[in-house]
Amino acid sequence: MKRSDRVTAIIIAVAIILLVSSYALFRRPAGNTAVVSVDGVETARIDLLERTPRTLEVHGTSGVLLLEVPGDGSVRVIQAPCPDQICVHTKAARTAGDTIICVPNRVVIAVIGRGEVPDAVAQ
Amino acid sequence: MGRSRRILIAVSSIVVVVVALIVTARLVGAAPPVTDTYFLMDTVLTVKTSGGDAGAINSRLHELAQEVESLTSYYQEDSDTMRVNNGAGSGPVQVSADYAALLRTVLDVSQLSSGKVDIAISPVSSLWGFTTKQFRVPSADEIQLALSYSQHTQVRLSGQAVSLQDRRARIDLSGIAKGYSLDVMQKYLRTVSPQPRQVIVDFGGNLLLYSAGRKTDWKVGIRDPRGSGIIGYVRSGDAFVATSGDYERYFEQGGKRYCHIIDPATGFPSTANRSVTVITQTGDLAGSVGDALGKAFFCSTADEQQSLFDLVDDRVLGIVVIAADGTERTLGPISLTRTAGT
Repeated sequence: MKRSDRVTAIIIAVAIILLVSSYALFRRPAGNTAVVSVDGVETARIDLLERTPRTLEVHGTSGVLLLEVPGDGSVRVIQAPCPDQICVHTKAARTAGDTIICVPNRVVIAVIGRGEVPDAVAQ
Repeated sequence: MGRSRRILIAVSSIVVVVVALIVTARLVGAAPPVTDTYFLMDTVLTVKTSGGDAGAINSRLHELAQEVESLTSYYQEDSDTMRVNNGAGSGPVQVSADYAALLRTVLDVSQLSSGKVDIAISPVSSLWGFTTKQFRVPSADEIQLALSYSQHTQVRLSGQAVSLQDRRARIDLSGIAKGYSLDVMQKYLRTVSPQPRQVIVDFGGNLLLYSAGRKTDWKVGIRDPRGSGIIGYVRSGDAFVATSGDYERYFEQGGKRYCHIIDPATGFPSTANRSVTVITQTGDLAGSVGDALGKAFFCSTADEQQSLFDLVDDRVLGIVVIAADGTERTLGPISLTRTAGT
């Protein structure tokens, strides 16, 4: 192989590496995260890959919600000071696109991340 | 190989890389959509807009929803609903042209569906505590009595004049107001300039998918009514997607689930289905029609759903049903793709 051919090969290799890595760079980060917001403002992020079980409090607009993160990649609301308990009834959120909502407290817990994510969920 | 040829290759490689970077960046959304969340009508409105003046579009969509709430609210002083209800049993009340048009559309769906969706059922819903959230199971006698004045035939509509025959009759448009808001939003989006590239409006789980005629192939997840996540998805172009389910607003007593959608025929919460999703695309007030039909299909058996679908298939793209026993099926030219692992 001539020296010039080697240079060409290296340039092409670098081009391919850049192309592949650019795709990885622009993609969303790996792993699922639950984004907690109160009245439209993000207040916490929960890494759902974490294996240690824990609970955390979210201060909503009319009281405190208790969230359980059991360490199995999910999050759910176990206590809320609202009359209808819709958020407590809602099954644990796990996959990207899942949401848990407490309207009286204006709390939204939305899972983001990779996977086969629909454009929107009819519910 | 000459020096100039090598330079040529090097330069063209760089050009290829730069172009690839730009294309990749565009594909994965270099200009991120603007997402805003608002709380109104006892639920959440989430708007996600790409392209155009996204921030301004989002806040305008929120304002439009607020206007619909002021017009239709069951609770707000001076809403057309409140004025009609306050005039129950006494002469007609003048409502706005928009309100009259909405009422006419919903009453049409009531007739088409033999009363399977009924805006006048609200006195019965109130017995169950769904208006106050003080839930209870009423007696059969109470329900029978309330049913006698809780039918859409109570509503007389002539031009913009509305009257309720019985003084105890009440109408409630909360079940339709989200779909109607999506109609109003779509009308606005069609006229806004510059046009946004894509807008996804999620109003309490009812969706408006808008891409300014780009023929986007949307992937719409269908919520699992018992577990978490979705059971699968359907594909659709720009559309309104309305879902009625038993899994969000309900209460339990003695091990039984009582959902908020009352079957107008019995006065009891419907148990025929777990969820029904209706996709509508064209026609006047398609969002409102989809929302109303969602309730009608929800209170219907499989046979009744088929007959109703045959009556409205010119206005409905398709429906996804998850029946009481958990089996799912679709009507119309859509198919449900199950998510892997479910």
